[in-house]
Amino acid sequence: MNAIQVPAATISRDVIVGIARLNKSFGTFHVLKDIDLDVGRGEVVVIIGASGSGKSTLIRGVNGLEMYQSGRLTVDGFDMPTEADREIGGERELARIRKGVGMVFQQFNLFPHMSALDNVAIAPIRVRGHTPDEAKANALRLLERVGLRDHAHKFPDQLSGGQQQRVAIARSLAMAPHIMLFDEPTSALDPEMVGEVLDVMRGLAREGMTMMIVTHEMGFAREVADRVVYIDHGRILEIGTPAEIFDRPTHERTRTFLSRVLRH
Amino acid sequence: MTTVALRWVHRNLFAKPFDAALSLVVIPLMAWAVYAFAYWVLVQAHWQVVGGSFKVLMTGIYPADQLWRAWFSVATICAMFGAGLGLSVRPGRAALTVVALVVTLTGVMVAVAIDAHSGMLAAGSAALGVAAWCGVHRSALDQRLALSGLLAGVVAIFVVLSPPGFDVWGGLLLSVVLTIAVSILTLSFGILLALGRQSRITSLRLISTAYIETMRSVPLILVVYWIWIIVPLLAPDTSVPGLLRGMAGFALFFAAYVAEYVRSGLQAVPKGQIEAARSLAMSSWTLNVDIVLPQALRVVVPSLVGQILDIFNGATLVFIIGLTDFLRAGQMILADPQNSGRTYEIYVFLFAVYLAIGGVITYASRRLETHLARGSR
Ligand SMILES: Nc1ncnc2c1ncn2[C@@H]1O[C@H](COP(=O)(O)OP(=O)(O)OP(=O)(O)O)[C@@H](O)[C@H]1O
Ligand SMILES: [Mg+2]
Repeated sequence: MNAIQVPAATISRDVIVGIARLNKSFGTFHVLKDIDLDVGRGEVVVIIGASGSGKSTLIRGVNGLEMYQSGRLTVDGFDMPTEADREIGGERELARIRKGVGMVFQQFNLFPHMSALDNVAIAPIRVRGHTPDEAKANALRLLERVGLRDHAHKFPDQLSGGQQQRVAIARSLAMAPHIMLFDEPTSALDPEMVGEVLDVMRGLAREGMTMMIVTHEMGFAREVADRVVYIDHGRILEIGTPAEIFDRPTHERTRTFLSRVLRH
Repeated sequence: MTTVALRWVHRNLFAKPFDAALSLVVIPLMAWAVYAFAYWVLVQAHWQVVGGSFKVLMTGIYPADQLWRAWFSVATICAMFGAGLGLSVRPGRAALTVVALVVTLTGVMVAVAIDAHSGMLAAGSAALGVAAWCGVHRSALDQRLALSGLLAGVVAIFVVLSPPGFDVWGGLLLSVVLTIAVSILTLSFGILLALGRQSRITSLRLISTAYIETMRSVPLILVVYWIWIIVPLLAPDTSVPGLLRGMAGFALFFAAYVAEYVRSGLQAVPKGQIEAARSLAMSSWTLNVDIVLPQALRVVVPSLVGQILDIFNGATLVFIIGLTDFLRAGQMILADPQNSGRTYEIYVFLFAVYLAIGGVITYASRRLETHLARGSR
């Protein structure tokens, strides 16, 4: 806890997320097994794998929504507090990490009692201490960027799924994160709304945002990913460029998985 | 007056073809009851007793030369209620007309029953409430600000009312002020208890749970009485007024119920909400105050408002610790041999006032409920 700052020598400056020999269990169920993965600044890493393979668990670990038992996880150069740290008040360290990490959920999780504008503005006001005026002005800019300026005063239940997810992206961006995590951001959407959300994500990738994305949209993965990670039963089986993974997978299991998802 | 009542009976009893045997029995019976009651209210009852003892009914033994303090409280309560209404209900033309009618009627009735001065004060207070309603609605006041205003209003009432001593508070004023103060105390304490019961800190969780379960398994009257006798034992050198001891008893008791309502509301908030708030680096405080509680509370608003009614009706129990609430004030008036034949008048008046206040609270809760349902999934 007191040694949160990692010695500069151990981690290269350009690694935003460093994961080393990470293990995670739910009770006796071993979900993540010896995960090693570094994500560099500006890199887009897409994580694919079968249902239940541990993709969500891995990505949720990066902002501390899941805790791990052994190994090492650093974000922005800070060590993620372990389960034991949290018992004795690691929440503050956790909050410091989370300020730099945006997360977009499959179910959007917008705050239903706030307008789109307030959804985007609330965290900068309460967490970063911005004045309501500057936070709302910035929120409007972000909503404009995701194409929803005209919907700023609507409540979540007045927005379509695609619009809600774009508000959720704007909400995360409002904290000016260094990295964005996406856990199947389009899986809960009707097909015709998938495109509008992916467009926003493409824009982010172009602007150099560091991203970790769990998705089943293989075309999108091939297009934006710098590297694709294939997880199988809690283990990283393959990492490579989209071309390597999609066109020349080395593992039989990867081939089987891809042939199954690509057929759909 | 008799003819009006008679015509009413005629129209309703004989103009309709009786198509069911049941209505043959029920309608005449009801009509007769209504007729008899109306006849009694309009013709036989001696309402002077209510006018004559209005001051006692409203304020108990509060010093007559200090009544401006009571009027201040009435005006403040009206303003607070109006402001609360302004947060949720649009002051439409129809609503305003009805309210204006009621205000005028109240003013006139008070003026006739007591004096013109009081009538004007009553109408003025009500008008202030309407002004607060329109004003708050137009300015789209922030809810936090409204809440601070509410607290400031309650504090002001206590400060202004207290100089003659807490022991002389009485009548409807006592019942209402007690209800407001206890409701606020109860809500804050109840929320803390509910959060405590969910806390990760084991001792806090155990204490909260034990407290809630204990309070929920004993009768209100026992808690009130118990607090009343135990405070002097705990603090022998200070004399805490009976009113404050009574309020503490009520608040401690009802907080346990509020805690349970709030807990059910907390459980209704989806886990994803908490994860979203956490992923935005919100502290536990912000997470609870801005994200979880607003969603949890609006689920339980109907229960909480029902609880306010329970407190108001339960306030009749404070007579056991020597306080003169509204009901008790009515009984005090009847204890005067001069008024011995006026039992029905007093009780009908008490009934009507309790019914009216209960109705207003229920109506307000319905509107609040629809208002809060806004933006829910
Ligand atoms: N809170 C939990 N308690 C126990 N087991 C869990 C918990 N959360 C997830 N698991 C289990 O861990 C495994 C990995 O879950 P995870 O959600 O990470 O999979 P996933 O790869 O994201 O799958 P999907 O594509 O269906 O979202 C699953 O077998 C799941 O049942
Ligand atoms: Mg998942």
